[in-house]
Amino acid sequence: MSDLSVIGTSVRRPDVPGKVTGHARYAGDIALPGMLHAKIKRSTIAHAHIRRIDVSRAAALPGVRAVLTHETVPRVLHYGSPHPRSASVTRDQYILDRKVRYWGEGVAAVAAESEEIAEEALDLIEVEYEPLPAALTVEQALAPGAPVIHERPDNLVVEPVLVKRGDIDRGFAEADFVIEGTYELGRPTPAYMEPNVCLCQWDAEGRLTAWISTQTPFMVRGILAEVLGVPLSKVRVLVDHMGGGFGAKQDLFQTEFLCALLAREAGRPVRLEFTRKETFLGGRSRHPGTVWLKQGFTKDGRITARQGRVTLNSGAYGSHAPGVTSVGTWALTSLYRCDNVHLEGRAVYTNTPIAGAYRGYGVVQTYYALDCQLDEAAERLGIDAAELKLRNAVREGDLSPSGHPIVGHGLEDCIRRGRQETNWPPTKAKQAGRRRRGWGMGCEMHGSSAYPGIKEQGNATVRMNEDGTLQLFTGTTGLGTGAHTALAQVVAEEIGVRFDDVSVVHGDTDVVPWDIGAFASHTTYMGGRAAQMAAAEVRRQLLERAAEALEAAPGDLEIRQGIISVTGSDRRISVRDAIAPQKGVPSVQLVATATYRPTKSYSFAAHFVEVQVDVETGQIDVLQVIAVHEIGRVIHPVAAAGQIEGGIQQGIGHTLTEDYVIDLKDGRSLNAGFVDYKMPLSMDMPPIRTVILETAPDPGGPFGAKGVGEDPIIAIGPAIANAVHDATGVRFRHYPITPEHVVQAMKARSSK
Amino acid sequence: MRRFEYYEPATLDDAVALLGRHRGAASVLAGGTDLLVEMKEQLRRPQHVVNIKRIPGIASFDYDDRGGLRIGALVTARAIETSPVVLAKYPGLAQAARELGSVQIRNRATLVGNVCRASPSADTLPPLIADRAWAKLYGSAGERTVELEQFFTGPGRTLLAPDELVIELVVPPPAPHTGKVYIKHGRRKAMELATVGVAVALTLEGGRCADVSIVLGAVAPTPIRARTAEDALRGQPADETRIADAARAARSEARPISNVRASADYRSEMVDVLTRRALERARELALE
Amino acid sequence: MSKTITLTINGERCELAVEGYRTLLDTLRNEAGLTGTKKGCDVGDCGACTVILDGKPVCSCLVLAAEADGAAVQTIEGLGKNGKLHPLQESFVRYGGAQCGFCTPGMIMMAKALLDANPRPSEEEIRFAIAGNICRCTGYTKIIEAIQAAAEE
Repeated sequence: MSDLSVIGTSVRRPDVPGKVTGHARYAGDIALPGMLHAKIKRSTIAHAHIRRIDVSRAAALPGVRAVLTHETVPRVLHYGSPHPRSASVTRDQYILDRKVRYWGEGVAAVAAESEEIAEEALDLIEVEYEPLPAALTVEQALAPGAPVIHERPDNLVVEPVLVKRGDIDRGFAEADFVIEGTYELGRPTPAYMEPNVCLCQWDAEGRLTAWISTQTPFMVRGILAEVLGVPLSKVRVLVDHMGGGFGAKQDLFQTEFLCALLAREAGRPVRLEFTRKETFLGGRSRHPGTVWLKQGFTKDGRITARQGRVTLNSGAYGSHAPGVTSVGTWALTSLYRCDNVHLEGRAVYTNTPIAGAYRGYGVVQTYYALDCQLDEAAERLGIDAAELKLRNAVREGDLSPSGHPIVGHGLEDCIRRGRQETNWPPTKAKQAGRRRRGWGMGCEMHGSSAYPGIKEQGNATVRMNEDGTLQLFTGTTGLGTGAHTALAQVVAEEIGVRFDDVSVVHGDTDVVPWDIGAFASHTTYMGGRAAQMAAAEVRRQLLERAAEALEAAPGDLEIRQGIISVTGSDRRISVRDAIAPQKGVPSVQLVATATYRPTKSYSFAAHFVEVQVDVETGQIDVLQVIAVHEIGRVIHPVAAAGQIEGGIQQGIGHTLTEDYVIDLKDGRSLNAGFVDYKMPLSMDMPPIRTVILETAPDPGGPFGAKGVGEDPIIAIGPAIANAVHDATGVRFRHYPITPEHVVQAMKARSSK
Repeated sequence: MRRFEYYEPATLDDAVALLGRHRGAASVLAGGTDLLVEMKEQLRRPQHVVNIKRIPGIASFDYDDRGGLRIGALVTARAIETSPVVLAKYPGLAQAARELGSVQIRNRATLVGNVCRASPSADTLPPLIADRAWAKLYGSAGERTVELEQFFTGPGRTLLAPDELVIELVVPPPAPHTGKVYIKHGRRKAMELATVGVAVALTLEGGRCADVSIVLGAVAPTPIRARTAEDALRGQPADETRIADAARAARSEARPISNVRASADYRSEMVDVLTRRALERARELALE
Repeated sequence: MSKTITLTINGERCELAVEGYRTLLDTLRNEAGLTGTKKGCDVGDCGACTVILDGKPVCSCLVLAAEADGAAVQTIEGLGKNGKLHPLQESFVRYGGAQCGFCTPGMIMMAKALLDANPRPSEEEIRFAIAGNICRCTGYTKIIEAIQAAAEE
């Protein structure tokens, strides 16, 4: 039973009325006088030198105001993703290079009076390519004599990640049986509804203002300043509303630099908006790859050894490969307990579109393998899969992937509750004819914060206005998840005022405190804790002042719903009156800033899924999902459930229908659009029942809260694969599982 | 989009004259849900776009038991999908219309436009052919009629001359005891381009198949009639075995390609499965 | 070739100068300054640009402005009255039907068109109606709840 008055309530989100009325402004909605439109010319070859690029005819087209090629942009090697000097990202991109490394890479940019003229200008740019042999698969990139994509002859993005715990030789020797499998992971992309967009304007003093749909405005500011040679005080990044990011908008896409440079050259504001096709070609997908996994089990289901090799396809540039490889590989030390672990993780360059950060960050890939293999082991052992996973689930005190001890028994709680909700194991429906039904479950855990890859920092400033209302200044970005509402709830709860008394100021790097950005499920955990700390300090200052007025000690005061009262008496004063101006004396200024350097907290989930398979057509339908999540403390129940339901949509897509396909003959994109890149639509989505547990709160989070953004997309995949196995008897070790795979597999079985 | 000249002719003759004058560089704009997409994806670059929606007399949509169903050039897929007459008498066509894009697309897309675009995977073509529809063409040489089955000459290609328009489709009235079914195969339940489309019209007389049309979409350069399969079934009892045989025969008549949507093998397999299912359902409907 | 067209947008008669090759979507967003309608794909695959044109929901990215001369257009901006939210808008707020909000204007306009024609839709009918509106944030669950709640008003 909660004694919290704001936390745990689904308050009315202040950002939503603007969205439902059409008044919310996204970066692409802003038009400035004299604004030009920019377009990028993209390569039509996967690997080549640019022997010659001639823009004279394009520049001469009436209405064209600026054209850029690799010959005219600064040649600065930079991190595609703006995370500062961290372990997560690679420094291997130029704004425009004399070499193209994937089909669709940008080779030139034009700014013109209209989009139509800019497009016509692209046609007039002549590019002569000197083709190079292309490595379109990881195998090709790792083969002896493979084409060299960057300066590394081995085509590895970074040194391999190596993890060793215990002694796997002893572990395998102890095992009663060993299970081994190779899992092939496809290429889903985030497909956010708002295409990447950027608007840049320089003023007469050489200051740049950029409106960008980005999750990391301070990072963008930093890298823009560095590459353009401008001090940070002269770069301002603005983000109001964003139409989704899912992690993939924490990179720079060449766009931002080109937009700023075109604006500088033309002397006019420039808007550069990706077409939907460009969000595929120029955006970031999830890392495809393979996970080879071998585990030893005793008869009673204990895991004695785990050996894994993770090989991820980074595409033409490194982007987040280091972080994704590290997090994904390290994740395999956990989820299901094992003392003897030997893991290796690699990321490989190929001449294909760039893989980057995307919700789940390597763990979608590795936990698909791990959980599916546990399911397979359960079958071999004759133990129920949920029971086996429960026995091996990580728990209080176990070492997490980040090296911290796990708090509580969240994963076990999720599995137990899910079993309850589904009456597990569900009675097997009679399988008649061509439609077979099955149930499966899958588990996951995910950390809030990017520690230890990045030692992040959340900053928050809380200021009380003269009427007792508050401003929270936060550098975290609003992707649309409701995180800012949650932060305001934290502040309101901490101080003791009503939710409506707190306003959130965000989205302007000139005004808000520095923040690393919204990713790694850390806004609530890190941003929220910083907000709580700053609010606590304001509360302390407020009580000091009120104590005088109420003639009591600050320790005897409490604040509820904006009223400060002395415990055990009826002396009270409103917050407003406590700080109000007096005759001739201005209101006191209560303000506090806090910095939080988090470690990490882990959230857990277990998904239980029923599927139906049409064995003649191979069509798989997800009939229902029961999603149990343990997240420490729910701040806004509707927002939390919304994250879970949305993550499930993406995960169903990854597992069954989404794959961004690259032609293995020439590297061309075959389905860079919504017709053939198939996301689940309203008629494809099942009913979802969400159960949220608060059984393992983390003291590092505000009121014990942990993140929830990435968990749902990880658990749903193996749950579906395991359910398909239950329905058909076929064990798939890849995603997406297409109808063709099912039909082929069913035929292979019946012919045995 | 590339810049183009836009026209709104007030009469059919004006439209035909425009198409003739800009031969090869002009496109007809009705619903726009194919043309504008292709232009934005740079698959087509007409310098002249001729909007025919202001022309009177090409929007009629009616049915009578003698003449059958008449569908004017401007009739939308949504109108077809929701028409009680089409639902009752041409359910395969209604089903096909219903699966075209989304409600928003269907409010603009015209049936005649879907026909003229002649995509091998177009949904409405197989049921129209199965129902023996024909098209009325109007051009500088006057009017002519073409059976829809003869109308398609290749992927995206038809018998239309550059200055000709289809102004009406006519679908003969259905024979009694006829079941009409269209099954579209796709990965999702909406917004799909068919990987395989099967339309069937099955007429029963005393438990025997008196007549049958089996038309396959998305498995050849144009929609095709599976004539061998039809011949195998015509005159025979419409039982499970004969239906399964017909479905198998249809499979061997299909000539699908492999692409990002599906492999040729899978498509062939689905022709078999879906033809069987369509025939079974058509038989049920014919018996009602 | 520039042309002057007349559109009645949210009940207000507007005269706009447009190029023949510009879409209704771009015209609403630029010439008419109504940026509520969004461009998610520009080729009719996502529904974010849905407006109600002469009473029918359409993808405005696939309608040329010139074609719409003389027509009545309803956009998201025209839904509320005197600062009060339309029941659909209110229910999207209350039930969590909007997260990032980018699909929301198109989604709400499609839902309005549905409820105008079918005031008491079943869940299946709702899913069918919005099948052409892609949402990447919500999984559709709360969108459907919101539409059902608005229908009950």
